Amino acid sequence: MDIKITEELDNLLKDNGIKKEEIQEIIDNAESNGSKLEAIDGDLCIAKGCTDNLTMYAVYSPSELVDVYAHKMSILGLTGGELHDVEYDDSSDWKCVKCDEIALERNVDMTYMGVTRPGPGLVCPKCNEFYVSDGVAKTLKTAESILEEKRA
Amino acid sequence: MPAKDYAPIDQNWLEEAGSLWTTPWVDTPSERVIVDPIILSHAASLFRKNAGYFYQNPDEAVRMVCAACELYDVTPVGHYLYADYWGMDYGAEIKMQTNSPPGITKRPIKTPEDVDNFEVLDTDELVKGPTLTTHYKALDTVKDEYPNMFAPITQLGGTMEVATNWAAIEDVFMWMITEPEVVDKLCTKAGDHMVNACRATAERYGANVMITGSVIASGDLMDREQIKRFSYNPVSRAVRKVLNEGAGPGVYYHLCGNHTDDFEMWKDAPMSPFSIVQIGYDGQDIFPTSKLVEHFGDRCTCFGTVDTKLVDRGTPAQVYEQAKEQVLAGKDSPRGFILGTACECPTNAPPVNVHALVKAAKDFGKYEKF
Repeated sequence: MDIKITEELDNLLKDNGIKKEEIQEIIDNAESNGSKLEAIDGDLCIAKGCTDNLTMYAVYSPSELVDVYAHKMSILGLTGGELHDVEYDDSSDWKCVKCDEIALERNVDMTYMGVTRPGPGLVCPKCNEFYVSDGVAKTLKTAESILEEKRA
Repeated sequence: MPAKDYAPIDQNWLEEAGSLWTTPWVDTPSERVIVDPIILSHAASLFRKNAGYFYQNPDEAVRMVCAACELYDVTPVGHYLYADYWGMDYGAEIKMQTNSPPGITKRPIKTPEDVDNFEVLDTDELVKGPTLTTHYKALDTVKDEYPNMFAPITQLGGTMEVATNWAAIEDVFMWMITEPEVVDKLCTKAGDHMVNACRATAERYGANVMITGSVIASGDLMDREQIKRFSYNPVSRAVRKVLNEGAGPGVYYHLCGNHTDDFEMWKDAPMSPFSIVQIGYDGQDIFPTSKLVEHFGDRCTCFGTVDTKLVDRGTPAQVYEQAKEQVLAGKDSPRGFILGTACECPTNAPPVNVHALVKAAKDFGKYEKF
């Protein structure tokens, strides 16, 4: 799947030290195995790829890359252990393509520099794949900066 | 008093207190549990000023708070806030009072139709409004004069607290029985307002700590289902939206009052890497820290409490004893622990009682987990 990358996003990739090829690979993998989130009311998808110290996300439409973001905090699993019922509407605007299940908005444990704390994630209730939104990635970036300063 | 009249903060103390304050959030080893008695207008009493003076002079207020933090050896953060935020931005009238925080006297929403027509202000409008103008004057003063004691907080309360600053509490409670869908709408709008307010602070300072939770929506006034419908659900929605918009990373759940029947549901409330939960009371008793840690310790930082009534009217020995019990139960909580009061330190609390609280943390709050 060939994705068009605008100049603005190309600059964003460079700013974040992410290569175009990495993003293309993340999208290709997601398209081939279905491990991605798809917007319930639209044609946007979120695919992710992990390296040792970075989780990268590509938000894309059938024709172009719409956004890229990343976080250094590593997702360990659901906060509090296993998936259980909660008393609020936890349905997100995304569904897991592979499982055809609505992704749930749940707290997930994240770890960075030896510190483990919760954060808001998107979770497929069937395959337990975890994602975060672009806004949460921004929140995590602030959290990571604080941890880097205080744990240095 | 202008800035020049305040003694400089001891930098050695500040470094040590900063280290203690950092531990609960990022697990860096330090000696003992930090104490946060939520000092606001109590600081004014140390300067022979009253609450009215404190709230009418936000720049002086934070100077007094910062000085009080050093005096008591507690969390080195300059705060300024009061419960009746956000009314004036929407046309409410507020009365400055001599011996208590400002109180709203006239609210903009009087009928269910007013709820329908009520429009939430956007971020730019809120920044120009009276609440944030005053709040930011206080925060800017801390940032300029006490940069190492600065934390960009946004005082929200929960949706019921914002709602009852817009409409009279007796009307809201009546609608809760007769027309609950009106309160749904009101709380949804309160949640939208909370998101815009947090966005304003995050844009101004690059980060934001939201103080939210459930105060009016406690077991003394509402049943579990009402708390869930009008507080937990809309607050959770708002917090999730705040975090999804990058307007975090701090989330402080202040569950004031009695939360025996509803505290467990807050375990699943949206959290960020810098989340803290404080629960005031379990029935009529102080919420046991052992119970707090049991339910929240593997999730977020726990804020153990000492009864504010005790801090206000008890003896130093009573404060010390309760603080000892709470700090022993919480000090090694896996994701951090802070000892404090169930709510704001009462304005005229005897200083010896605040000292007793801190003394208990020094005597019994030494970490064993590091």
